[in-house]
Amino acid sequence: MAIEGNKATAGGAPAPAPAPALSQAQSHTTAPAAAPTTAAASTSTPQLTPAQLKAKAKAEKAARRAQAKETKAIVAAAAAPAQDAKASKGGKGKQDGSQPQGKSLQSHRPSMSGRRPSVAIMEKDARSIIPECFSHLPMAKRVQTSQAHKDVHPAVLAAGQQMATFAIKDSISRLEATLLAFKKVIESYETPEGNSLSRHFVPHVLNPQIEYLTECRPMCFSMGNAIRLLKAKVNKFDINTPEDEAKEGLLEEIDNFIRERISLAEFVIARNASQLIQEHSVVLTYGRHRLVEKTLLRAKEAGKAFSVSIIDDPFEKDGQELAKTLGQAGIEVFYSPKLGGLGANLERADTVLLGAEAIFASGFLQAPAGTADIAVAATRSGTKVIALCETINFDRERISIDAFTYNEIDPESNSPESFRLLFDNTPVKYIAGVITEFESGTGNSPAQAILAILRKQEEPTIA
Amino acid sequence: MAPSQATYAPTLAKLLKSLNGQDLETSIESLIFLLKRRQVKGDQCASATLHILLQVVAKAKWRNVDQLLDAVKSTGSRLVQAAPHEPVIGNIERRVLGLIRDEASEDRNADDFGIESVSDIQSLAPATPAVPPLRPGPTVIRAQTMPTVASLQASKSMFNLLSVGDTLDAYSTGASTPVSQPQAANTHALKDEVINGIEEIMDEVNTTGDQIANFADVHIYPEDYVLVFLPSPDVERYLIKAATKRKFTVLIASFDLPKGVPIDAQYPVLRKKLTAAGVKMIRLASNGLMAYMPRVNKVIFGAKAVFQNGGALVDSGCCIAARAAQEYSKPVIVLSGVYKFCPRDTSTQVSWAELGDPSTYINYEDGTAVDSFEIEDTTAEYLPPEFIDVYVTNLGPQTRDHLGSIMADHYKPEEMGIALHLGA
Repeated sequence: MAIEGNKATAGGAPAPAPAPALSQAQSHTTAPAAAPTTAAASTSTPQLTPAQLKAKAKAEKAARRAQAKETKAIVAAAAAPAQDAKASKGGKGKQDGSQPQGKSLQSHRPSMSGRRPSVAIMEKDARSIIPECFSHLPMAKRVQTSQAHKDVHPAVLAAGQQMATFAIKDSISRLEATLLAFKKVIESYETPEGNSLSRHFVPHVLNPQIEYLTECRPMCFSMGNAIRLLKAKVNKFDINTPEDEAKEGLLEEIDNFIRERISLAEFVIARNASQLIQEHSVVLTYGRHRLVEKTLLRAKEAGKAFSVSIIDDPFEKDGQELAKTLGQAGIEVFYSPKLGGLGANLERADTVLLGAEAIFASGFLQAPAGTADIAVAATRSGTKVIALCETINFDRERISIDAFTYNEIDPESNSPESFRLLFDNTPVKYIAGVITEFESGTGNSPAQAILAILRKQEEPTIA
Repeated sequence: MAPSQATYAPTLAKLLKSLNGQDLETSIESLIFLLKRRQVKGDQCASATLHILLQVVAKAKWRNVDQLLDAVKSTGSRLVQAAPHEPVIGNIERRVLGLIRDEASEDRNADDFGIESVSDIQSLAPATPAVPPLRPGPTVIRAQTMPTVASLQASKSMFNLLSVGDTLDAYSTGASTPVSQPQAANTHALKDEVINGIEEIMDEVNTTGDQIANFADVHIYPEDYVLVFLPSPDVERYLIKAATKRKFTVLIASFDLPKGVPIDAQYPVLRKKLTAAGVKMIRLASNGLMAYMPRVNKVIFGAKAVFQNGGALVDSGCCIAARAAQEYSKPVIVLSGVYKFCPRDTSTQVSWAELGDPSTYINYEDGTAVDSFEIEDTTAEYLPPEFIDVYVTNLGPQTRDHLGSIMADHYKPEEMGIALHLGA
């Protein structure tokens, strides 16, 4: 009940603030789908809130609607600053899409709706211009918040927008954003009369959120794994488990999950990988990956003298940020803005550290396009290739044949005449080892052993 | 300020236009200037070098073959040193030197056989004694030969050309006939021959692209997916020619991102022509190419130079395309005119890598970036021979095994296999 009361009081305070914004948006002709929700909100605000507090006599539909509106107000106030902060941490170039979104949750709705027509036109033919031979692959798209399912929680809306605009890009960041948004969903969830959380929450509340996120951008494996875990947890609750207890249990589960599978994993992988860096060695890496960055910084902290050769993707330019960070940490950095000249770079390097987006059951590495080129060239020239990956990114069911099996089209470079895939697949034979957070001892294993690792881990986590 | 600068800025076109009007040294200096500033590069180097060497032959003061060879060599070496990353300049110099030697030997052979026709001379060439023959006073004959078909045998007799040159002169001076007149006629004829020969090489250079393109429909099949990396003019011609006969899809990849040009607006001419012919063109905005390779049927790019061992100097990134193709066992086709064949060995591949302008990627405004790391932007690199399946030249498609004989046909042994000037 503590949460409930909190919500009620908090709901009162920010209510006046969003109200003008909402009505403004409503008066705007270019916000068509938003109209039903906002109309319902503005007309029913004074009547329904007391009604809800007083008695539970309302029909289920009306209650749900009211709840959606109410939580929107709360979370907008609570989550927006946090999301802004998160967005500024994300990618640099592609951030423009996310910033209006973060703001729009607070007050700048009209500006957002002003942008809509152009986006909508772009969306219409975005898929039709994909070359036929790649048309089976999914592509992230900007779903207007107004077009989202009415039950989608504002926190999830925000996360979805950030994913669609690639402000949150890599698989672990997306996983973390998803889980944090789901926490908000759970916190604001109230089991309707005559229902039980374990029966009602997943199909009626969680699934619409997941659908929306998938629509924004195809889910990455880590999200799929985590969601499976979450659903399994919900199903385990007895039908008579009190709502508060169940909610607390879920929130705790998510917290534990983030702690163990993301934060701790990052720590352990960085520690293990940094031990592989020899004194005076030259480490080659591609683009910017969180784990690689952590590893290199950690090795530097440990007092090792080494240099880093960064190969960047001229279409992403993430590597520049990494180069700056490492350079300022006192590491000697060679920066190559594109894959050309890889041969010369490899001659200098003795270790290749690659960050992975995911690993298939076959051990194939799914990683930013260009990774495979480096891994193949490095292996051919006798340089060892080490991949860093959290176990949550492992998939035990999917096996890819090549990069066209599971991939995504970059919406940014999808124009009538240009095209880009986000990922490529590196065959097992070009990866000397994968460093994961799992395993006693070192945590290093050949890529083929992925399934074995999962099996050994065997807990219901990735079932 | 800007427009006036543009008007006065030296360009290759202006240089070529002013060649006849200005003296030789000025022309050479201005080409060196252009080469050093990379304002003349790639395919332009060949014709620019030819024009300058033509001027050398026409304007330099020389009285015998050796002086002419020296003049060409010294000019060539200056150009090579101005742009050591362009092996084509050295190739052209070798071709011209070979041409001069050919013409000179033909003149002398002609002397031996009096007024016999040139074709006879060529057939007799193997039998020509290596010792310079004693002969009566020189008579002049105009040899109508193709410099490109000069045979190895003919060059045999030339081994002695340089070593005995002086004695020949001495011999001539000792002859009873007056020297000055026939020699002047001789050099005059030689000059004409050499100039003709250089013009023929120019023709060859200019028509190379079209000749290569004639083989396009042999290698590109209907419904193919052809990956092209950073299409050179030769490659563009090749694709356009193929498009007249076949329906296929071109995937164009390159890392080049010209400022202010949206990526899908690149290669406007090629795009227009291909689209008009009904060929689909997809611009891959991708760094790695491994991902697309399963879809690709063949990889095509142009070489800046092809070395004796079959390795090629290519634009940076072609190696990525070639390696990806090899990984998926797709054929790699390299387009290269014969004039780009460089009779040199490449013991150190890395030395061929050329670095570009880092300010394309990092701005000086970004102080932290400028301070904290070193930028290495490779613009050209060496592609080892094992990555190349077919070389399409103006003489037809070739394999690695036959490059040697093509080079032997086009360069004299005197110029082959030695680093001409770079060691100095």
